[in-house]
Amino acid sequence: MEHTELIKPETLQDLIQALHEIFESDRVNVEEVQSIMESYESKPHEWMKYARFDQYRYTRNLVDEGNGKFNLMILCWGEGHGSSIHDHTDSHCFMKLLQGQLKETLFDWPDRKLQGGMQQKSQRVLLENQCAYINDSLGLHRVENVSHTETAVSLHLYSPPFQTCQTFDQRTGHRNTVKMTFWSKFGERTAYAGSVSQENN
Amino acid sequence: MEGFEGASSSSESVLDLSRLNLNNNSLDALSEKRRKDTKQLYLCYNRMTVLPESISLFSNLEFLDISNNALSVISEDITRLTKLKTLIAKNNSLNDSSLPKDFGSLQLDVLNLSGNRFEEMPSQCLQLLRLQSLSLGGNRLKSIPAEIESLASLELLYLGGNQISSIPAELANLPSLCYLVLCDNRIQSVPPQLNKLHSLRSLSLHNNLLTYLPREILSLVHLQELSLRGNPLVVRFVKDMTYDPPSLLELAGRTVKSKNLAYSHKDLPSHLVNYLDMASKCPNPKCAGVYFDSCVRHIKFVDFCGKYRLPLMHYLCSPECTSPCSSNPQSDADSDEDNSVPADRLQRVLLG
Repeated sequence: MEHTELIKPETLQDLIQALHEIFESDRVNVEEVQSIMESYESKPHEWMKYARFDQYRYTRNLVDEGNGKFNLMILCWGEGHGSSIHDHTDSHCFMKLLQGQLKETLFDWPDRKLQGGMQQKSQRVLLENQCAYINDSLGLHRVENVSHTETAVSLHLYSPPFQTCQTFDQRTGHRNTVKMTFWSKFGERTAYAGSVSQENN
Repeated sequence: MEGFEGASSSSESVLDLSRLNLNNNSLDALSEKRRKDTKQLYLCYNRMTVLPESISLFSNLEFLDISNNALSVISEDITRLTKLKTLIAKNNSLNDSSLPKDFGSLQLDVLNLSGNRFEEMPSQCLQLLRLQSLSLGGNRLKSIPAEIESLASLELLYLGGNQISSIPAELANLPSLCYLVLCDNRIQSVPPQLNKLHSLRSLSLHNNLLTYLPREILSLVHLQELSLRGNPLVVRFVKDMTYDPPSLLELAGRTVKSKNLAYSHKDLPSHLVNYLDMASKCPNPKCAGVYFDSCVRHIKFVDFCGKYRLPLMHYLCSPECTSPCSSNPQSDADSDEDNSVPADRLQRVLLG
């Protein structure tokens, strides 16, 4: 396998270009992707046009479709906004902080004979520019902006792209398949307005 | 999250003086024209301990952000800004005595005081009758004043990250409230009157001390987001709690009401007429009974869309009266018999 030179991407466009090159191959080198995403230093003026916030919940804003190999999107988290516990439908998931901080709580897949609710495995706070990685074999997670004063913005890469995932009720382990939607695509607000989120949190 | 939403603000009307190491005197150097032209002023991430007097000379100012300074007091000068609509003062050292006496005279739509040291909601805030958005997240509030109901235009109320232990019923008297955030507090119960918040779209209650919710919450028809994680919600059916046997007065009252006996001020002393008029109908639709003071707190699990079991609490007239769904009190309730709530309404509430 050819080893791509890891030149630090100076701009968001550089990063997208580098990701296109890396994903030309069919095999994903997780460390390589994580490293290149982490090395891009977030510059708000480069991604501001994708950063559309909703008052009531976090938003998903599509940035690039990666020639079908991956989806790159920006998530905007208002104060106190959090996700449900969810899986990643057999895909790789990379999450980089562009602004603010996010708390990630990891969970094991629930046992059918669950007693006392799903127990968290670990949790950590991701700081600006850090990049986390998860896939279904590592477990499930919940992501939250726990700040009451600051918003958060994160850059996510999913490969291969997926449109549905499962959400989990922490108290019972009950799972539910939800369809994922975009608040905006390529900087334009999508017409799928007024849809009710299917997540639980 | 507030941004300036003024109509087509030209760049001349925006003055960004953030992150410049400004101290208390730094505004003095600006020209009078510059001050009069400015509609949005950013002074965040500086080193001010007090707002400079010259702020009052920005006579056309509509948006002011003084977040992330070291402000321990906001001077009277701010009240001269008659056009000010949005004030963001996050992450300072403001406390209960920091706001000027006449702060309530400002015509604010949006006020953000999160990340400060308020222990009580300042009374001046309750005088801002045009206020649409109020945030006091991340302070030290111990309670919500009943006077909150005077903010008749309020649409957003953010009180997450405080030390609030209860919610006053008066909060329900805010007809326009869409977004209510009470996460990360110490709330043990939610008043059933909250079902009067007809406009409520999103309710954030995660990380509190709730064991159940009032059944009335089901009537919040516009509710689309409900966060409940991090509460000790009961998961298993809870057998009926303590039951004080009804008094003789109550038993007589129940008989009068259930037999539809006529009564009036001519027959009875007025205090008894008033008592009889206060009868509450048992929520069990198959029970025609009423109760006065003696009732049983009953927890029923309502299954939403086959997904989650939400413990909802309501009162029944006696332990013998059961909800239609709990034919066997020992088992978890089966939601399919919950025919008192329309299925489509159940489907629109999210929880976990």
